[in-house]
Amino acid sequence: MGFFRELLGGHRDRGSSQVAKQRLMMVLVGDRYRLTPDQVDQMKHEMAELLSRYLPNINADQIEVSLLRDDENERLHAQIPLRRSQQGER
Amino acid sequence: MARVITITSGKGGVGKTTTTANLGTALAMRGSRVAVVDADIGLRNLDVVMGLENRIVYDLVDVVEGRARLRQALIKDKRLPELCLLPAAQTRDKDAVSPEQMVELLDQLRNDFDFILIDSPAGIEGGFRNAIAGADEVIIVTTPEVSAVRDADRIVGLVEAAEKGTPRLVVNRIKPRLVSRGDMLSVDDVLELLAIELIGVVPDDENIITSTNRGEAVVYDQGSIAGKSFLHIAQRLNGEEVPFIILSDQPGMFERLFSMFGRRRS
Ligand SMILES: Nc1ncnc2c1ncn2[C@@H]1O[C@H](COP(=O)(O)OP(=O)(O)O)[C@@H](O)[C@H]1O
Ligand SMILES: [Mg+2]
Repeated sequence: MGFFRELLGGHRDRGSSQVAKQRLMMVLVGDRYRLTPDQVDQMKHEMAELLSRYLPNINADQIEVSLLRDDENERLHAQIPLRRSQQGER
Repeated sequence: MARVITITSGKGGVGKTTTTANLGTALAMRGSRVAVVDADIGLRNLDVVMGLENRIVYDLVDVVEGRARLRQALIKDKRLPELCLLPAAQTRDKDAVSPEQMVELLDQLRNDFDFILIDSPAGIEGGFRNAIAGADEVIIVTTPEVSAVRDADRIVGLVEAAEKGTPRLVVNRIKPRLVSRGDMLSVDDVLELLAIELIGVVPDDENIITSTNRGEAVVYDQGSIAGKSFLHIAQRLNGEEVPFIILSDQPGMFERLFSMFGRRRS
């Protein structure tokens, strides 16, 4: 859940079930892959570091990592927000 | 040859025993020969939920340790002659039985029944191992809560690692009003997280409390939403295609949808 969305009260609109779902997604990443929250943070940091070589406007604090499963596959899903301000300079 | 189906969850108190009793009763009502086995050794419960607590002479551990024959320990249901209970021992602990002994016991039972349902204890240790050792299929019960879903996910992994196939899911104690208000995980949310096949949704229903107080299965109460839901799960276990009831937060709507499905069936 994004910091800004929280600031704007977005998560209140969405109800506590979406908070629960978001938390579960994070927890299940840890459980399924035996990653501690610290390691998940570390991973996000390194992802941000790598990507910022190509994209200067990564918002590292807001990376969301979750797991999605369909019938066949398990996928790691990363949501990487970009800062808007720098897009405007194009 | 019976299908052995274990009902498990990880977290306690989510409705395993209630589900076992009601699916067993519903399957027997529909003509199958059913044995329900209480594998929660030391915390015997299935007997009281089914109202059979006064008839127990021998238990599962007595059979395993040779003090009683299987036939002597099986208790016939009050109403349904084709439904039997094998009670757990109350005064022993989970280590009194090994997974190998459970498999052996089930092999003795298999020929005489169409379904054997095993009520698993909570947790992921010995008792759970015993409960899934002889299973052909596994049903996981969860409630739409963070801790229960998390534990269910852990169990999915363990069941798959034990090569019992992908378990199927019952979401119990759904409260439609909370879901529509956005304050309870929906069935879709839970399915998206766990990614296993759904076999049933059981709403939170006060009728379960009154039935359990009397030691009767709620499936006898055809007017109750929980009773209908368990009946549908039993039908799905039998390979019938029963549409999932769309849960609405308007009580009137509930009833209408139900009678619609009821008519179609009969
Ligand atoms: N759908 C439901 N609606 C209302 N109460 C329920 C429902 N399912 C279970 N319960 C109640 O929840 C409690 C725990 O259920 P139980 O079947 O004993 O769980 P478990 O075997 O997983 O520990 C019991 O008091 C039971 O009556
Ligand atoms: Mg129980």
